[in-house]
Order: sequence, then structure tokens, then C-alpha cells
Amino acid sequence: MKLSRVLYRQHIGFMFKKHWLVQGSRVPIDTGVEKYLKEKGIKVEDALEFIKEEPRTFDRISVIGAYEPPLPLNENHPEYKERPCLTLKSTNVLLEGINQAQVLTKTIIAEDQLPRRIEELAELPAPKAIHEGVKKAILSANVFDTEQKKLPKKKDKERPAYNFPRILGITDRRRNEILTNRLIQLIEKSSDIDITQNKYVINNVEHRSVFDKEEELIQFQDVSNILVTSNKPLKHDLDTSDVPFIEIPDLFPVKHTVTLPPEHFYEEKSRYPILPSVLKKYPHTTWLHFNETEVNNIYETPVTPAQILGRSLTHAFTEDVKDLHEPIHLNCIQTDGKRFHFGVFELNTLNVDGNDGTKNIWYCKNDQILYDSSRYFSGMPSLDNYNPKVYGYINAFYNC
Amino acid sequence: MLASSGQRMIPKLKSFTIRRFTQPAISEQNEYTDVPNYPPILDTSLQGRKQRKRETLYENIKALKTVEEKQIALNMPRYYGWPCIMFKENSVPYNAMPFVQYYTKTYFKSIHKLPDTYNNTSTLTDTVLKDVKSHIEDCIAFENIGIERKIEICSDLRVEQQMEDLKTKEIVKQINRIIMNNITDKVPHILSTQVDYEPRHEAFWFMGGGAVPRKVINWRKQYPWLRKDRLNEAFDKPVQYIGSPMLTLRNNLPLRPIIPYNEAENPEFKVNEFEYVPESVGYVLEHRYGTNIPGFWPGDQDEFGLLSYHGRGHIINRKESFGAEDNLEALHCQAIKSSFGWLLAQANYQGFTTYNDITYPLTTQTVITNGQLLSFYVYQLNTITMNIDAVNTNPKHNICYGTKPMELYETIEDGKVKGLNEDTLKMLIQFYVNAPVERDHELKPYLGDEEQVVADIEEDERRNWLEATYKHIVSNRPKHVLMPEIYLWEKIYKIQHNTRFFEAKKRPFELGINPFKRRLDEHLPPYIPKVLRPYPKCRKKFETMYYPKI
Repeated sequence: MKLSRVLYRQHIGFMFKKHWLVQGSRVPIDTGVEKYLKEKGIKVEDALEFIKEEPRTFDRISVIGAYEPPLPLNENHPEYKERPCLTLKSTNVLLEGINQAQVLTKTIIAEDQLPRRIEELAELPAPKAIHEGVKKAILSANVFDTEQKKLPKKKDKERPAYNFPRILGITDRRRNEILTNRLIQLIEKSSDIDITQNKYVINNVEHRSVFDKEEELIQFQDVSNILVTSNKPLKHDLDTSDVPFIEIPDLFPVKHTVTLPPEHFYEEKSRYPILPSVLKKYPHTTWLHFNETEVNNIYETPVTPAQILGRSLTHAFTEDVKDLHEPIHLNCIQTDGKRFHFGVFELNTLNVDGNDGTKNIWYCKNDQILYDSSRYFSGMPSLDNYNPKVYGYINAFYNC
Repeated sequence: MLASSGQRMIPKLKSFTIRRFTQPAISEQNEYTDVPNYPPILDTSLQGRKQRKRETLYENIKALKTVEEKQIALNMPRYYGWPCIMFKENSVPYNAMPFVQYYTKTYFKSIHKLPDTYNNTSTLTDTVLKDVKSHIEDCIAFENIGIERKIEICSDLRVEQQMEDLKTKEIVKQINRIIMNNITDKVPHILSTQVDYEPRHEAFWFMGGGAVPRKVINWRKQYPWLRKDRLNEAFDKPVQYIGSPMLTLRNNLPLRPIIPYNEAENPEFKVNEFEYVPESVGYVLEHRYGTNIPGFWPGDQDEFGLLSYHGRGHIINRKESFGAEDNLEALHCQAIKSSFGWLLAQANYQGFTTYNDITYPLTTQTVITNGQLLSFYVYQLNTITMNIDAVNTNPKHNICYGTKPMELYETIEDGKVKGLNEDTLKMLIQFYVNAPVERDHELKPYLGDEEQVVADIEEDERRNWLEATYKHIVSNRPKHVLMPEIYLWEKIYKIQHNTRFFEAKKRPFELGINPFKRRLDEHLPPYIPKVLRPYPKCRKKFETMYYPKI
């Protein structure tokens, strides 16, 4: 409640103001004390003599607070570098999507093609109980979870100023976390114990790779929402003959570093979160979530499907940072909770200058849809058109 | 003018017409019986009438068919929600044990090893222990020193508390993963068990015991009919539990009870009454709707909890002067609160409420940990009614068995875990191996046969309305129009000192109205705009509301 409202009602403030004015202009009455004291020989001093001095000033105390404040971002910051680093974070996307990612990572693409062993494993039928479990996981993530948080604002194109009541529900971050973790749990439960014992499943780890391309420093900062590691490096038998590759495109007039904002505060070394002393340190499969509310273009335009695919490629590239003696392989799965993009990255070179010489290869199978819709439809939980094939691929990625 | 009044008169004429045919009352054949059949003698005193009114409410809620309707019904008497005593999982005031025990009617028993029902799986436990031991050592070392994580710290909690809870969360996930993967093919129930990360647990109940607050007594003093002999009359205090475990397991079958159900009436388990007012020992009141949520919406098949892991970071946040003994009691309190809260919410999904007691016991297992120290609790829920009609007459009590915090390992040296405590790990595995079993009695006696949740209702409009209303109530979203309030200036210048006697009396407290005494359905139904009404002619201006009739 506003205080003024009370004052207006009572007018007591006005009374006080008036009172101060009246009392302030009072004329002191001569009581005759001074004269009497002088007669007695007592010295009388003027009261104004005592308040002549300027009031003492105090230094301001700097309050530290409950937490140490972060260092100011200026030239004195320990991580400050003169040379800007063009940074791609997990919340940003490349303007040209998959094409730009190809140029940045010097990669050729084998579209709709996965290693033969994965295709073979994906064909194996899973028991009915497992598919029931997948359905349960989908329903849990979309329907039965009790999170009630604000979802993005609903807008009507016809009348953009109209405010709809805000909808509360399961956020995309939570939905993806539940779905992917449940799927991994199901796969591990149905896999052989020897396979699961040689693997780690870690949630939300950050890693970054810094590299030079054509005299510009580029950095990919990424978060792996689920990272499966194993005790030996992942190997795929790949036959590159008679595979129709998509060659590295020419982006002209766009430069390949467009929409990578320059940053002056960074570490010069690439970083992989698991220490080299750990036995199960080799990355095997990395899961990437596409959360619509968190990933944006820096120019505020909606994210396009090609840009989403570009994320998978740069993400897989980030994960592979090591000295190269032989090709390194890595599985990558990106999902927005419904659509799954599978990819296998083969890192052949870390020299990404130019378009010639050895190139990295990206085998991918995109847009696999796990289900059409799952929600409360007219007050009833619903799951439409469950696609059992997708589970086969996820299982194959884990077990290969 | 005349014409219009003439039209109006026509319907009235109907009432003046003489009824030509009358029906004689059907004389009953068996009007007379050998033994006089008197109606029951009802207690006509005020207390008796009030109790009968309450009992009809209990019966009406029991008769409702779906879970969601029962939950809405619990909130029907209050438009602005209940002033609930808040039980938060992560804050335990000093010396909270007597209060928590009385408000959950729980007898606590300190134990060193798990109850005897766990012994029949010891051979299986030993084989599992041998298999997982080295892997658990590895994962603990890995989580502690083998990985660099990016830690996001928020500013409203202590940094140490957040760091500990974050690390614990990851260790718990790893331990759970290793044990689950190992025993999937040894114990059949694990495959169908669902694992939830950080679910939402809420529970709501009424407590009829304890002292009457001074504020209520003062309020009662102003009315002569209350002042006389009803100053200390007990009333139902709403209590709300809110918590979020790190990880829970749930299954479609309930766990076996630890002690037989009739043992629950054993007078040994009686807990002492806590006579003080909750606000005076560090609890706060919050106006909100009562909610019962065990981590999923009604309709999910896996509705019985097996195991829940909780963090103990809040212990760091307690004052040092509380001492080690009180910290231990705080852990027990956390376990009692969270186990009772989760089981009560599960019981609500089986159709029981705080007014209609459960007909069979429910059990859960709770682990409180910081990654190194683990304390184990087994909780059996025997009763959930403790309202004013039941608090003194209901002989049943709930039982919680709990251990002290036990070390899982001693230290981590050179990247290896030293001194893994096998007994601790064994207890944890025993919790996983403890299989739920099918019960030989009905689980949902107070729910409908066809309709058990709102999704089963066939009438489209009613189902949609109930679904939307239920979600709206349990979300506890802020109201568009603020709650009524007595402003401070009004309290000073109008209530405490009558300085504005010349003004028109318009505010509720001047008219003798209690604005909080408003039922949930006391509002105008949503208006149907004319264009949306069915063609050609429809006089229905407002939408139908399907609030449960209680």
C-alpha cells in the first residue's frame, strides 16, 4: 500500500509540516538569565560557537557481501586476451546451418547413411516389454510429469497484442531430460551387464574446443546433456567407396564465421571434462538436447531445421579433441523430444584450413520421428503413432 | 404498459388453476412391525449437530468417484485456499522431532540393521554386493576427482550447501545406475520400475490436535456465544508438505508391510501430544490450496513408491550451536516428513483422503545421503486421519525405523576409494532387492469401478472442465485479483482507534463479513459471448461448472 494514501486520508503530514514552520520561526524570548549571570561574574558563551566546526566525515566502508563478487570484465581480467576468439555456444546456432558447419569443421557428409553394424543392430527386434517401457517414458515426459512452470507466451498472428492466459506445464528442458534419461536406462537394463559395466553415463558436462581456421581463432563451447563414455575408443568399420558424399559447399557471399560473436575472455586450450587418469574416459555417444526456448539465432529469427542439423555436427566435432594417430569416431544423437537426428563423426584431421586434403566425415540419418504427438488430448493422456524403429537405432548406438 | 403486464400475468395464472386429480397416498403393506422400529436418537446439541455435518462431508468425499474430484473437494470450502502450516523438506528448526512426530503421528525407532523382513534375500544381496563393489568404488572416485563439472550457483542458498547437493545428485545417479543394471536380470520388478529425477512431492492433511493459538482465542472472545464455553474448541489445522527428492523409484505394485496391520494399534507406538502452536517453534503459515502430488499425475500405472534418495545439504546451513544430536534428529525429521508426505500423496491417488482413512498399510524406503554418509529409513503408513474427529480416537500410528548416518567409505586417496563399508552398501542393495508384491485385497475401495481418474469420464465437457480445474488448483498460480486485506492504516485508524466514524462503512470488516469464508464455487461462471452460443436460439449465458457436490 502506498504511504501517501494514508497521508492524504489523514492530512497528518501537512499538519506536521505546518508545525515545523511555525516552530522554526519562533523568536527567542529574553528571559534575563544572561544579564543575571553577568552580574554574578559567570562567563556566558554563545551556543553557536560550538557548532561552528564542520561535521566530521567518515570513509565509506566497502561491504563484501555473502558472496565474492565476480571480477569486472575488462583488460585486467585474467582471462582477457587481445586476440578475439569467435565463439559458438550451445545456445547459439550457425546462420547457414549444416553447410556452414561443414566449412568450419572441413567435413563431407554421407546423408542417410550409417555404419553397417549400426544398421544391422537396429534391425534386431526388441521385446514387447521394452517398447512398453519406451511408451511409458514418452508419456512420463510429455503427460505425467508434474512440473508446472511457465511455458512460452502464446501469440495469435491475427491480433498480436492480445494476451492469452499464461499456460503452465512441462518445460522443454525437463521433457528432454526425462525422455533421454529414461531411454538410456531402458537400454542399459536390457543390455548385457559386461557392456554396461565398461561404460559411464554422465549428465550435463561442458567441453570446449579451440582451433585456428584461416588465421582466425574459433571456439566451440558445448554441453553434452548425456555423455556415454567407455573404456576403449569407439571404432567403426567404414567402407568409404561407393558412398555419395556431399562435398564442402561454397558459402559465398557469406563468410564462414558469420554469427560467431567475437569474445575476448576465453581459455586458449581445449578442454575435455574427464581427467586422463580415468579408465573409462573415451567418449562413445553424446546426446544433445534441442530446447526450443533456450537455443536462438543471434538475429532473433526462428531456428531452421538445417541449423538444428548444424548443431549436431559442431557438437560432435567439439567432443573429439585429441592428438590424431588414427581416425576417431563418435556417435551423436540430437533430439527435441520427438525428432531424432543420428550421426557418426569420423575425425581424420584437425587441420581445418581450406577445402583440400584430408577431410572429416559425418554419417547421418536425420529426422527420425519417435511419435506424432503425446499430450493431454481432451483431458485424456494420448500417444499417437509410436515408431518402434527409433528405439532400434538408439539401442544400436549404445551397443556398437 | 398494459400489454406487457398482461403478458406477465399469464404464467402466474397457471398457479391459480385447480388441480383436478389428486392421488391418494399409497398405504404401505408392512406399516406395522412386531418390534417397534425407532429412528436413531440424534444428539441435538450444537456439538452433535456440527459433528454430524462434518461426517456428511466425509461421506460425501468418500462417495466421489475420481481422484481429482476428491482433491478439488478438499479445497471446496475455501475460495482463497487454506492457511497451511508449511512443512518444507529442507528446513528443520531446532528441536523439531516432537512436533514432526505428533503432526505425522509417527513413532520413531532407532535401529542398527534393517528389520527382519529384509533377511530372506541375504544370499542374493551378497552376490550382488560382490559384483557391484568395485564399480561403486570407481564411480565414487570418478565423481569426486575424475571429472570437472561446471557448477551453476544461485544466490539464495549457501554455496557449500548447493555444492554438496549437486555432487550428491550425480553420485546418487551413478550408484543407482550401477545397482539397477546389475540386478535387472536377478530381480524381475526392476525392469518395469520407473526412475524419476527430482520429482515434485506435495502432501496435504488436516491436524486436529495441539493448542489453539492466542489469535484464535482473542477472535473468539469478541462473540458472546463463543466466549462462554467454546474458547478452546479444537479446529482443523491444514498442513502442507513440499519436497523434492534427488531420485525416486516407483512400481505398479506396493511394497510388503514390515509389521502386520493390526499391530499398528499397539499402544507402545503412541506419540506424545505437542501442545505448542507451530508458529512459535519456527514454522510459517502460507495461504495456498492443498495439494497431493507423489511425482506424477493420476493415471500413471506405476503409483507405488519403492525408494527415494534425499540430500542433506541443509545440515550445513544449520547453526553450529544446535549441536550434533539435534542435527541427527533433523535427519530423522527430514526422513519422517518426506516418507509420510510421499506415502500420503500415494494414498490420495488410491482414493483415500485426510478424512477417509486408509484400509491397508503402505511402505516406503528412504535414503538420506551426501555421497559419503548414508542413513536408511523404512516407513510404514498405517493411518492418515488426524482431524478433530480422529486425532484422539484413532488408535493407529505410523512407524519409522531409521539408522544413524553410516559411512560408505573412509577417504579417497590417490584416486582410489579407501575403506568401503560393505555393511552400508549391503543395506542399500537390500532396499533394491526388496520386491513389491501383489496384495490380496482391494487397493482402491473408495474410487469408482469404471471411473477412477478424470480421464475415464465419458462426458467430454465434464472431463475437460475437471481436468483444467484440477491442474489450475494444484498449480497454485497467483490469483489475478489479489486476496482481501486489512490495510495497516485501516487497522490503526478504523479498528484500533475509531477516528473515522463519519465515513460510510463499506469494507468487509466494517460490515461484519469474513471474506475468507467463501467457497470455491462462489464465483460467476465464465460468460459465453453471444456469437459462440449455439444457433438459432440459446438463452444459456454462462458455462456449466462441474464442481464436486459435497
